[in-house]
Amino acid sequence: MLDAIAAGLLALLTPQALLFMLIGVVYGLVIGILPGLGGVVAMALLLPFTYGFETEATLALLLGAHIATIWGDSVTSILFSVPGSAKGLALCFDGYPMTKQGQATRALAASATGALMGGVIGAVFLAICIPLIRPVILALGPSEYLMMALWGLTVIATFSEGSLVKGLIASVLGVLVAFVGMDVVTATPRFTFGSEFLMDGISFPVAMIGLFAVSEMMKLAVRGTPIVDRALMQETSTVWQGIKDALGHWWLVVRSSVLGLWIGVLPGVGASVAGLAAYAQAVQTSRTPERFGKGAVEGVIAPDATMGSNEGGGLMPTLAFGIPGGESMAILLVAFIGLGVVPGPEMLTKNLGLVFSMVWIIVLANVLVTLIGLGITPWLARLPSLHANLMVPLVLCVCLVGAYATRGRIEDVVVAAIFGIAGYLMDAYRYSRANFVIGMVLATMIERNLHISLSLHGNGFLMQRPIALALLVLVVLTAASPFIRNWRKRKRLAARGAST
Amino acid sequence: MQAMRRRIVLAGAMSPVLLASGRIAAQASGYYKDKIVTVNVAGSAAGGHNFYARMLQPHLEKHLGARELRVVNMPGGGGLKAANYIWRAKPDGSQIYFGNVSTLILAHLAGSPGATFDPTKFNYLGRVTSEARVLCVGGKSEIRSIEDVMKLKRPFVYPSQGTDEDFYTMAVLGDALGFKVKAVTGYEGNADTALAVIKGDADGHITGWTESRAAIRNGDKMPILMVTSLKSPDYPNIPLAPAIAPAAKRATVQAMADILETHRSYIGPPGMDANAVAAFRAAVTAMLNDPALLKETKAKERPIAPMDGARQQKVIAEISRESANLAPILKAAVKAIQ
Repeated sequence: MLDAIAAGLLALLTPQALLFMLIGVVYGLVIGILPGLGGVVAMALLLPFTYGFETEATLALLLGAHIATIWGDSVTSILFSVPGSAKGLALCFDGYPMTKQGQATRALAASATGALMGGVIGAVFLAICIPLIRPVILALGPSEYLMMALWGLTVIATFSEGSLVKGLIASVLGVLVAFVGMDVVTATPRFTFGSEFLMDGISFPVAMIGLFAVSEMMKLAVRGTPIVDRALMQETSTVWQGIKDALGHWWLVVRSSVLGLWIGVLPGVGASVAGLAAYAQAVQTSRTPERFGKGAVEGVIAPDATMGSNEGGGLMPTLAFGIPGGESMAILLVAFIGLGVVPGPEMLTKNLGLVFSMVWIIVLANVLVTLIGLGITPWLARLPSLHANLMVPLVLCVCLVGAYATRGRIEDVVVAAIFGIAGYLMDAYRYSRANFVIGMVLATMIERNLHISLSLHGNGFLMQRPIALALLVLVVLTAASPFIRNWRKRKRLAARGAST
Repeated sequence: MQAMRRRIVLAGAMSPVLLASGRIAAQASGYYKDKIVTVNVAGSAAGGHNFYARMLQPHLEKHLGARELRVVNMPGGGGLKAANYIWRAKPDGSQIYFGNVSTLILAHLAGSPGATFDPTKFNYLGRVTSEARVLCVGGKSEIRSIEDVMKLKRPFVYPSQGTDEDFYTMAVLGDALGFKVKAVTGYEGNADTALAVIKGDADGHITGWTESRAAIRNGDKMPILMVTSLKSPDYPNIPLAPAIAPAAKRATVQAMADILETHRSYIGPPGMDANAVAAFRAAVTAMLNDPALLKETKAKERPIAPMDGARQQKVIAEISRESANLAPILKAAVKAIQ
């Protein structure tokens, strides 16, 4: 095994492989920053250029680009509340408030360091888990996915400050929007009103661009000031502060990374869910959950660590079974075939060197992204102080082009505009946009996996799936923990009051 | 039906003969000279259709003599969105569909609300591939053969990602071979259904041969039936569905196999300019005989199985006529999941 680890690294230390990794990372950062485009597009566009090169160099290019999009997505979420793609959404919740408080440098640095730590932990776990990959994947199924989605729902309470009813209404609206399109169970059109465009449903990234980015730009235009007015709010934070934040919250990073790996292993569970689940986990385990949504640095670190480690997890089913964990892994599979590499159990015996090369690629690409990221952070952090007259048209253009680029349909630009107005009104009347999105992401996942669980195992499916049952207990405990904590606090205060 | 099958097989075999004059004809007509052509791929960037479309793009552009050939992904509705789009496209030959033909025929037969077209009225411009569909069970399943499936005392659990061609094929097999099928819908893709089969959550699923090849080699899946007319030289012991179907149902299963063999093709809108049709067909034929492309497909392990567009047009018309008896089976399968 040690030989394979060393051989995997040595194979990467060729000028071609290192150059390809650098190209991949820089290109991935640019693609990640553009709204609507993410890792899948980055890899798909590179694929035709990968034939005829060294195997390791090709993988360094593809994986490097994919990894770089993760932090690229986070940048615009933090600075402008514009999620680069679905997975960057969770970064809007606390990253953007940090920017508004003059903490953009800190948030960006914490995000980059969190992603690096998550990426490294994910890669190390991937290496350690290689012999365990197959049994782990075989132990998980739709019932476990269902519990994961239910866990995501518990975060709704966090964003329902002021009125739980308003929070729930926002979530239900999100669920209703998610139900537009082809019914995943009966394969019949639902809420489509005869429209062919609606048969494919409302695109999640497009809805997010509208809800968060377009509505924020509307707010800026109305206010006529920059996101951060330097006359009122100086950028006080530093890169080092962000690095220290991520290192200081190492236990949160480890937890979030393991969660990311776990989600990566489950085919069909997207990275957008990973980000939300990480956020939910950070909130539920925090001693001060009330700080979340208002600029808590943990709300930035956790999703980035999860998405960083998600990469290693996503590779597991691809390597062990030749079954891609997601669209990006499907593209990697095509590259494997082009390179004459057959995924499956042989990967873990005959091609172990190549597997470790990929582990090293994840580590090195993450280091490269973080170094570049930390280097450019002070300059990026200046962008939110651009005046609204410049910022609004610029960001709106990028957003609407991004909405179009998501599926190449002009109707999506209209959808982004409609969701922009909806987002503006929701914000004005204090209906949580985050809850809307959570409802939208988790609705089909819950519907799909509940149906499969019931069909395969009957009404008592939890009794037949012990892991799912254990997860349900965990969900109940984490959902109940804030209430228990509050009850204890009240009891303590009451006892203190009685004693005085 | 037997005669039609022979014609389909012959069409494939005769293609090289037709190919020789293709490029000359396409460019001689000059129809596409200085024109921009958009190939709308009925699938996402990660799918097999996209891979083929982009691999073929520079070759087709050369043989068409077009100024530019653009490849655009139009995923959605299992290919129906792209087909609906082409159905309404301007028939000047500038908008072309590339994807699965069998999905279009089956969706139409099943009365799918998403299919707003009549597949016989499209202009078929040439088939690129034809991949055998194979029914696999899990490597550790108690089911070891199609006979075991037919003897099952319970329904055969089939994980499905929706009403795609494999869903319909399974319904036809169940009807013809006399076993009950319990389709569990809601799965998100082939990766999802494959894992369900390997884990033993479900009994088996149908995929293209290349999609299951790695899992079969590894022993994670076991092929028990192929839904095609010709035996695979690599796996001669796997039975063919038309051969084992009872006499009364053989024609139905054969019709299904014929539909599946129409596979990945270029299609133009109804009423497409006759000169454009002729030029495009000739270019596709020439491209699929181009030594440079053949070398590339071999290197990338992406086999092709060409069928000339004019021949394909006749075959599709014949298949559609003879598949009418499939409609009630397909409609019943859809009703069962609703």
